[in-house]
Amino acid sequence: MGFAQIDDLNPGITPFPSGLFWTTRLPEKSVHANPGAGTAVMEAHDIAVQDFGDFNNALSGNNGIPATVSFKVQWSGVDERVNVKNPSNGFAGEFVRNRAQMEWSAVVGDYSFVSAPLETSSSQFAEVGTERNGSFYPHS
Amino acid sequence: MNVSQFHALKKRQARVSTIAPTGLSRRRFMQATGGVAAAAAIGGQLLKPWTLYAAGNDPLPLPTGSLGPFRVFAPYRRDDPNLQLDPPDAEPSTITNFNGVVGLAYIDGTVTRTKISTGETVELPSLFSDMRFMSGVYRGVDGKPRQGTFALI
Repeated sequence: MGFAQIDDLNPGITPFPSGLFWTTRLPEKSVHANPGAGTAVMEAHDIAVQDFGDFNNALSGNNGIPATVSFKVQWSGVDERVNVKNPSNGFAGEFVRNRAQMEWSAVVGDYSFVSAPLETSSSQFAEVGTERNGSFYPHS
Repeated sequence: MNVSQFHALKKRQARVSTIAPTGLSRRRFMQATGGVAAAAAIGGQLLKPWTLYAAGNDPLPLPTGSLGPFRVFAPYRRDDPNLQLDPPDAEPSTITNFNGVVGLAYIDGTVTRTKISTGETVELPSLFSDMRFMSGVYRGVDGKPRQGTFALI
């Protein structure tokens, strides 16, 4: 019963499990943001990822099937403004909680995926902001 | 991106099943399997400094996380009893030594899957896709400050 996940597209974790988590570099102009206004657009094309099938396998350390994804994610609105300072984890930031939508496409082996238009999507949680951590965190 | 196949149940419950097996929250799942993941890693890459795998300009992962051995947090709203992720004030970035703009979203939608060789298509739900960006100054493996843009997909 319910949904069974059949595709999980992400860049992987290298080295497993302590490396960058599902994170990859994008071209510099992939992001345009005005965090104070709560607006941002992230758009990229033909990013190399892997299809791990489902969430459990994506965290297993197994290899996935090579794939490429393209996407456009758009943040908008201002539902809440928050300032966060977390000394224990060493990060601070100013965030706008709002909404986001996405359209995307992918190719995995003999399958292609094309999402419905961006306007038909919705977010369960979204935020845009500025953050500093690690050596940029103001410890004093 | 997470793509799911509908078997018939309320959508609300279905969203949970895309994150973890029915009855397990994402955090519980990580606690239950963390030992297995760590054990598997000990025989392989975990014994080697991770910087051996990285170029000097590569960013560094967070020093910690909330999902077992993984270097990530999952900030989420407090009013969803079906998911036990991190509090909304948890850190969205997945890289450390970073100063810049970030965005995070968990997005639902639909997607059409086409089998290229036959042209057969099916519409599927795309649920809880975790999409993030980090764009700004970071210090990478070599400690030098650089400009960069990264995404969690």
